[in-house]
Amino acid sequence: MDHEGFREFVLARQQALMRTACLLVGDPHLAEDLLQSVLINVAGKWDRLARTGNPEAYTRKALVNQYISWRRRLRPELPSAHPPDVGGYAHDEETLDRIVLRQALAKLTRKQRAVLVLRFWEDLTEAQTAEALGCSVGNVKSQTHHALARLRVLAPELVRTPSLADLATRR
Amino acid sequence: MTRLRRALEGIAQETPLVDNLAEGALRGYRRRRRTRRIVASAFTAAVVVAGGVLTAGALRPAAPVEVGSAGVQELPDLPEGAVGPAGRAHLVPCEYDRESKELDCSSSEWRLVTRSGKTYRLPRATAYAGNDRVPVAISRDGRFLAFYDDKAGAHVVRDLVSGPEVVSGVRVELSKVGPGSMLVLSDDGRHLFFDPREGSAAPGLLVDVAGGKSEPVSGVYEAVSIKDGMLQLVRYIKTDHWLRPVSGKSGRPVRFDGAYIMFSEPAPDGARVVAVEHATMAKRVLSVLDAKKGKVLRRLTLDGLPKQGGLAGTGLWLSDSEVTVFFDAGKGGVRAYAVDVRSGRLRLLEKYTGAAELVALPGQAAGDGSF
Repeated sequence: MDHEGFREFVLARQQALMRTACLLVGDPHLAEDLLQSVLINVAGKWDRLARTGNPEAYTRKALVNQYISWRRRLRPELPSAHPPDVGGYAHDEETLDRIVLRQALAKLTRKQRAVLVLRFWEDLTEAQTAEALGCSVGNVKSQTHHALARLRVLAPELVRTPSLADLATRR
Repeated sequence: MTRLRRALEGIAQETPLVDNLAEGALRGYRRRRRTRRIVASAFTAAVVVAGGVLTAGALRPAAPVEVGSAGVQELPDLPEGAVGPAGRAHLVPCEYDRESKELDCSSSEWRLVTRSGKTYRLPRATAYAGNDRVPVAISRDGRFLAFYDDKAGAHVVRDLVSGPEVVSGVRVELSKVGPGSMLVLSDDGRHLFFDPREGSAAPGLLVDVAGGKSEPVSGVYEAVSIKDGMLQLVRYIKTDHWLRPVSGKSGRPVRFDGAYIMFSEPAPDGARVVAVEHATMAKRVLSVLDAKKGKVLRRLTLDGLPKQGGLAGTGLWLSDSEVTVFFDAGKGGVRAYAVDVRSGRLRLLEKYTGAAELVALPGQAAGDGSF
């Protein structure tokens, strides 16, 4: 096995992968555990991946799928504070959005959460998302629809903006 | 950029910097290569019951849960004090030494996974007596953990929520622990039942941990649970089912017409249990039994299970109408379903895949392999 190549890859991409893991899991410690276990698998396949494949795409796909099928009991996400009851507009709107979104993400199914992260943070198309999740494009559309519908209930402030509808129909 | 996208980006940016994960991954990879030599089948005991075979405790979550960022070797020991309720315990199996062609159990150990996801080594919990594994047990709510401590020569019950532990005043020699020994723990952690050798005539031991007393129980019975002050015992083939109070008058067993196996714990009403009649096991029929009158209340044909595989056991009641059933789908792993005992409708709870490994789940008789 080409240990040096693997080390270089991990050093270069671990922080980006860690961000994805954090968005999926919601807890940095669990995210690190998840990523670590995926990297062990990647290490086992490294020579083939380095020679013929795209290691980062493979790792990202493995990360998402292991997250979805992870049987470990994840810690319930307990946001440190409820959003303040603002009547109009918060001074720090972005901070508030993050708190609201954390709470909302914790209430989605794993697949819905994965779809949102891949579509709206990783900027993958529906076809790329389907490839990463190993499912059909129709399933991605359906999961996206349900995830956004749930978000509209849980975090209406985040999905009331017209541009989100544009995102939902983006290919 | 939309507010959703901005919020996602904001959360992503809050991700703490990680140290080099490559070394930990390489360590885990090397360890995984070594453990491929494990003879997993050595831990898939077969319990012959009424002419049928129950595949024993081969449950392992899909993810290598013991692998943390710190690596397998650096898992912490269970600390003193409160750690929170247990989700399960699993046994790190022995390794097969190709040169000596023998199992090496020197590095085998029990590990505890709390409901919050923390994994601890249990160095005080004796894992093996020779080549026979020594079980641990967890109370239904995960609060209490029972294990055998070789140094103390007795079982220990630890309150994982508040911290204290009690060493049983009843000494049990390690040499008494034989193949297929079982351990069952009551909801309040006060009573445990230890069967030194499942399926043998050797008597079991009902232990009052707090009171330091014990009482032998005929070896023809095997324990299923201790719930609501009742030790649930089954004498197979006949089939006698006995809800025996842990204190006071012992009551009498109830006989069922037919050879039933895979008994569940009593339902919340204390009057029903589910089991599988051996004759209809291949047809995937679950029987709801009246535990007081010895009658069959209902037979449920479980539709919607995978084509390949067979029933593997029953478990805890989730409500007054739903009970857990385990199905072994062969290469598809073991699946846990909630079965509605009124309609037979199934609801998939969990899938377990991966190598065979002994797991102790809350409220389940540990060591019997019937999940």
